Amino acid sequence: MKKAYNLHWIENLYISQVSSRWRAKNLLTPEQEAQIKVEFPEEFYRPGIFVKIGLFIFATIACSFFVGFISIFFLEAGGDDAFSFLSMIACVCYLISLEYLIKNRKLFHSGVDNALLYAAITAAFVPMFILFEDADVLVYCIFSLILFTLATLRYADLLTTIGCFGALFTLLASLMLKFPLSKALLPFAIMILAAGIYFSIRNNRSLYYADCIKVLKALSLVTFYLGGNYFIVREGNALLNELNLPVSPQIAFAPVFYFFTTAIPAFYVIAGLKRHDRVLFIIGLLTFAFSIYTYRSFFSQLTIAQELLVAGIVMIAAAVSVIKYLHTPKHRVSDEQEGQRKLANLEAIWVAQNLGQAPQENGLEFGGGNFGGGGAGEVY
Amino acid sequence: MNTRTILKALVDKEIISDQQSSVISSYETTRPFSIHWELRSILYLGILFLTSGIGIIIYENIDTIGHQVIIATIACLTIACFAYTFKHSLPYSHDEVKNPNKLSDYVLLLGCTTFLALEGYLQFQYTLFGTRYGVAIIIPTIVFLFSAYRFDHRGALSMGITGLASWLGLTIAPLSILSENDFTEERLVISAVILGIALVALGWLSCEKQIKAHFSFTYLFMGGNLAPAAALVGLFTHPFKIVYFCIGIGLSVFFVLRSRQAHSLLFLLMGVVYGYVIITYSIFESIGSDAAFALGSLYFMLSSAGVIVFLLKYKVFLGIKK
Repeated sequence: MKKAYNLHWIENLYISQVSSRWRAKNLLTPEQEAQIKVEFPEEFYRPGIFVKIGLFIFATIACSFFVGFISIFFLEAGGDDAFSFLSMIACVCYLISLEYLIKNRKLFHSGVDNALLYAAITAAFVPMFILFEDADVLVYCIFSLILFTLATLRYADLLTTIGCFGALFTLLASLMLKFPLSKALLPFAIMILAAGIYFSIRNNRSLYYADCIKVLKALSLVTFYLGGNYFIVREGNALLNELNLPVSPQIAFAPVFYFFTTAIPAFYVIAGLKRHDRVLFIIGLLTFAFSIYTYRSFFSQLTIAQELLVAGIVMIAAAVSVIKYLHTPKHRVSDEQEGQRKLANLEAIWVAQNLGQAPQENGLEFGGGNFGGGGAGEVY
Repeated sequence: MNTRTILKALVDKEIISDQQSSVISSYETTRPFSIHWELRSILYLGILFLTSGIGIIIYENIDTIGHQVIIATIACLTIACFAYTFKHSLPYSHDEVKNPNKLSDYVLLLGCTTFLALEGYLQFQYTLFGTRYGVAIIIPTIVFLFSAYRFDHRGALSMGITGLASWLGLTIAPLSILSENDFTEERLVISAVILGIALVALGWLSCEKQIKAHFSFTYLFMGGNLAPAAALVGLFTHPFKIVYFCIGIGLSVFFVLRSRQAHSLLFLLMGVVYGYVIITYSIFESIGSDAAFALGSLYFMLSSAGVIVFLLKYKVFLGIKK
């Protein structure tokens, strides 16, 4: 499928990003970096994250009221057909303006183009839901899978990538749930599909889809783990078989799932550190935390407060000792701060909001609005 | 595209020499893997969990464990944290102080939160400050603000500002419990507006006078959300709409202009969003609901397209050179 954004610029953008990283490490002189910027030009419009957010918000508003505006002309027609027709028109308009803006305003995932793409997809879904009313869930899954895949291939958008992934797994699950035998094997099928996705994209070095691949990797790692997680399988089993018991019953092959729950996070973390793969490492840490949660859901004798206390002490101790241990880099793993913290200011505010305030109940609340300054801690 | 192809392209264009290329490529292959942020996140979550756990355990066991034991434990922890921070701190300076000690920032954060727990416990158990809740809140606020400036800690600063806000909220809120009428609510709105503007002014001053200029963001952000949001509430629900309108618009313009000097697009976003809401509300309020209904979709479509054009070309409008 033809790609929407200028591939050449994307390569040049990547080159200049890599070279500014080298420049920060004094591997290149500033003159060389400047020369690289000249030799490898790119003209994308790439505003900061906050302008992107603003552009996205206002583009969404504009898109929604655009539908309202053109629906004025369809007022007398009414009915399902008119509404389908209306959304097709809207969809085409969004796509035309999307292509126009990418070409002429040089947008590159800048908020407006994201909003227009999502609006176009939403508009494309409307006739589908109207025409195939009460269809099997499979039909919707296949339709959305095709739509999301086409959008992802052309625009390399992150949300549509997630959409593809979700549609694919919903498709798998709804197929497997049709028969009792395949129902029992659902966890394994999910794990196999997730592993298949991971290994098929692992060595893809395409720059155009670099972020999509990162997202897909993270999603497939998480799904692979959840497919084998004891908690998910046990609760899911109870849910799917509609057992309304206070405690969900033990599952078949329980030891297999114990093993998966313990081994997968450990494997992720070690492999992530060994292969310098940040996605793998972070997902490893998160799944490890979820494994702890799984364990405590079934076996823990402590109260929540005691667990929090113990978890806090263990985490602080672990982090502090690793920081001390990595004072000088070991095994090619370091504790060096790389790059500037772009959002250091917001981090500080977020930290303070979480750690709470003041021993009494407080907070300035008017009519449901919670002011930035008055956030009372959930703790005390 | 990988390191090798980039280096080849750079050598081909004669930007770098072969020798430099091999230096870079050996750097890339031996570069260590940094887990700095992951470790910091675990540390921070650990502090969050620990202090939450302590807080709940105190409340649950308030009658069974000896009070002295609890107080002594938390007090020791707090003192230890502050002692550690003092010991590893650098002298005060008006500029940003970069502390080479990797942990002192987090130890201070832990100390501040355990101090809160300690004070809350003393107040709960012994009503140390009686019914003067204001005193109970202003003490940690002062401690936080002092720590923020002494140890150069933005987290402590925003905790201090939060404390200041709740101090105002609390000393005013009892009046609203007494009378519960619109008048007292409006007092709350007014004090929120005043506090917000004061914080914005402080942030602006700290930048102008170069006294901890990097704190300016925290002041501006917290004050700059408090004041326009309160002004919005005032505009929606209270008389003297024109006053609130002027305050809100003034702040929005200030933020849009400010974003040029501070190179902070967050302020641009805040200014644009608050300004848009205030102007839209005022227009619809003044033309009446029938006209608003008729023109609504056209207005929103065109106005948001206008804002998009502004945001796409904000550099031109604000005179920012790339």
